[in-house]
Amino acid sequence: MTPAAFLPYLILAMVVLAGLRLGQRVMLWRGGRAAHVDWMAGLKALPKRYLVDVHQVVDRDKSASRMHVPVAGGLVLASGLLVLGLVPALAASRLYWTLVTLAFLVMVAGVVLVARRRYPQPMARLSVGRWQRFPIYLAAFGLGGLVTAGLAAIGNPLPALSFVTLVIAAGGGLKLAFDAASGPIRHALAGATHLVAHPRPNRFDHDEAKGRSTGLQSIDLNAETLGAKTPSDFAWNRLLAFDACVQCGRCEAACPAFAAGQPLSPKHLIADLAAASSGGHHRPYGGHAYPNERPVAGEGGLHAKVISPDGMIHPDTIWSCTTCRACVEECPMMIEHVDAIVELRRFQTLELGAVPLKAEEPLSHYRGCDEPNGRALAERTDFAAGLRLPVLKPGERADVLLWLGQAAYDLRGQRTLRALIQCLQAAGVDYAVLGEDERDCGDLARRLGDEATFQRLARENIAALGSVTFNRILTADPHALHVLRNEYPAFGGTYDVVHHTAFLAEMVAAGQLTPQALSGRAITYHDPCYLGRYNGETEAPRALLDALGLERREMARSGKRSMCCGGGGGAPSADIPGDTRIPDIRMGQAKETGATTVAVACPQCTAMLEGVTGERPEVKDVAELLWEAVQASATAAPRDSRKAKELEPA
Amino acid sequence: MKTVVLVSGARHPVSRRPALTRLEAQAASLAAKLGGTVRGLHAGPSDDQLREALGHGLGEADWLEIEDRVDPVPALIDHLKAAAPDIVIAGRRGEGTGDTGLVPYALAEALDMPIIADVVGVSPGAGSGTVSIEQALKKGARRRLVVQLPVLVTIHPLAPPPSPFAFAAARRGTIRHERIEATGLPTAKPSPFVERPYRARPKMMRQAGAGQAGEKAVLVGPTPEEAAERILAFLEDNGIRRYSA
Repeated sequence: MTPAAFLPYLILAMVVLAGLRLGQRVMLWRGGRAAHVDWMAGLKALPKRYLVDVHQVVDRDKSASRMHVPVAGGLVLASGLLVLGLVPALAASRLYWTLVTLAFLVMVAGVVLVARRRYPQPMARLSVGRWQRFPIYLAAFGLGGLVTAGLAAIGNPLPALSFVTLVIAAGGGLKLAFDAASGPIRHALAGATHLVAHPRPNRFDHDEAKGRSTGLQSIDLNAETLGAKTPSDFAWNRLLAFDACVQCGRCEAACPAFAAGQPLSPKHLIADLAAASSGGHHRPYGGHAYPNERPVAGEGGLHAKVISPDGMIHPDTIWSCTTCRACVEECPMMIEHVDAIVELRRFQTLELGAVPLKAEEPLSHYRGCDEPNGRALAERTDFAAGLRLPVLKPGERADVLLWLGQAAYDLRGQRTLRALIQCLQAAGVDYAVLGEDERDCGDLARRLGDEATFQRLARENIAALGSVTFNRILTADPHALHVLRNEYPAFGGTYDVVHHTAFLAEMVAAGQLTPQALSGRAITYHDPCYLGRYNGETEAPRALLDALGLERREMARSGKRSMCCGGGGGAPSADIPGDTRIPDIRMGQAKETGATTVAVACPQCTAMLEGVTGERPEVKDVAELLWEAVQASATAAPRDSRKAKELEPA
Repeated sequence: MKTVVLVSGARHPVSRRPALTRLEAQAASLAAKLGGTVRGLHAGPSDDQLREALGHGLGEADWLEIEDRVDPVPALIDHLKAAAPDIVIAGRRGEGTGDTGLVPYALAEALDMPIIADVVGVSPGAGSGTVSIEQALKKGARRRLVVQLPVLVTIHPLAPPPSPFAFAAARRGTIRHERIEATGLPTAKPSPFVERPYRARPKMMRQAGAGQAGEKAVLVGPTPEEAAERILAFLEDNGIRRYSA
């Protein structure tokens, strides 16, 4: 028997070893909560999810996609071919061994590309440690296999060398198989299973509106435990998701809290959650530490509490999150970090009441008077004194229901709302507000983990909305938009909700508003996370700004990959200290474009960006810019007629 | 040690909904930290405030359901006489619609208990049957008292902040419900006054906008009619008065 003839048995041994190791991990996943998974649909969709959805994300970093195709493809192809080598007729064929050699050659070429990302200096966002050693095992298996198969293809002239390379291939291959449940290679098997059993299968459905797959899922408030205390409180396919992480660090590079030096790194968090479920002490982690890391004991276990200074993760870590979903958008393994964070927050808030000190106040206001700022509902329309603001009484109807939201209590937000209302009046829209019956949508409560308050507000708002008739809900707040559009349907309220940028763009396109060009001003548009990333609406605001004749400059991070202003997810309430502030970083990016105005479309973004001190571009809501242009056209018209009069005598 | 926390029928200052006051939340947290058996007690038409107190650390509570506007003191006296607690903790002022803030004093008199006002801390005393109480005085001064049990105390706002509300604790806590018939109890007369919370009028703000600047025009020697028309148009445009509507 030639040394090459042992290669098929090596593959079999690797499969058996990997299977045994992974079996332990499967038992661990089974310790999670039950979840409904449509296996048939998932399996059927797997190729598309992998080749389209995953590839689209991986391909944003060309060095990753160019490395992964040959490595993974070569490894799978060579292993598959080698299994066929158990057929004696094939094993004797030189052509067969040539094919195997080619497959290994592809893999080795890929390994070279992998190594170039890591040696001599690894890319900053990659994890080192066992991830840094991973290419060595791949190279051992690939090169060993290449030489062994290659020698077999040319008639096995050097049996001694073949034997040595077989041993090298066996060493690398068996190490890879042994690590199947704990090492980097876990991402392949857990990742594929995760794609099949994904907890949000509709995120792969491109015909569906993006918001359908980004709304938080509600929990049963009568359940025994509310939220996640231990890893076993997560659904089993969430535990699977944690194991799918490749620690590529794209989430970390996109995370605004990480950039601001707050103790959060989505990659570290997911690695910790994966390590927590297997128990024992802190696993070696090869990435960057949490910025300004808070000390933790690092004890974990499937049934041990996760969030605690005595557990794996410090509470400050989960409270730093702005729920901007940048990590989810960047994750090639389709992990849902924000879901995990909110689930962990729910336990802290509902079971322990352990919210950060400053976040207690809005939550207690919510319980007392339905508004996080503690103001009376009747005062919501006060800002519009002097403006016509019809209030719908039960049984009345209007074409457009204007949802004012929390901005109505804030002096800066009121300026935006006034501009919007004036635009609506100028366009002759039939609109009205709910007045006192409008409670806060509950966005902040839900993101802070107070699901009980959110569900109460959702039910009360749905009842109020049900008592009047309207065609559409219009709002200037993307957070309210997201909640009303995507999270209220679970409670029986399904509405056609439109953001003011889309609505005003429609008005301008239809000629109901005729703005004059505001030329000579460079602007840059900051995408609100809850509009762009959560709901995929990035075009309408830009179309509107272009219609105003403004010179639009794009920031490096824009559209669905925009950076958060720091205002979402209750992060300003939790106020976890970092090295700098998120809005300062974002304003710095806006400044780099040289724009004199930052156009915004969200009251949170407005507040956060306006809070930046020093020389900076001015912050204007899209509605304010439009109203300015509409007014300019109104005053421009008579001026033209005056000119005509002057010309008459001549 | 048996502790009873009195919960009043307070209302939220903004929404006027039944709500636990901060003082009573502080009382609940103080009692929970003190240990022993701790129960909440409320006499009134609804148990909303008690439910909230459970979320702040009380495990159990008694709700004496009486009709609105019925004096709760007799029901409380009967209950407390039977329960014989060592410490009764109450808020120190009325924060609702009809409450007077005098209930703790009425109870102390009827039960023949000493009452200590403005308490910021309670801890078990050195001797058996005593308790060490820290009382807030003016200008930040504190006075420590050792008192023989039983005792009734009212809480000062400078007591430790309440433990945060936890929904699950409120859900798990148990409330024992007892209906007290109003017969024979003195009933407060319905007030002849209609009570309405103070409501500041919305302020009329001058409209900020670029548009007005463009319309600035100097009229030299206009006719009175023309001048009046322009003034009215200005007021109309700026939403200061409406003539057409």
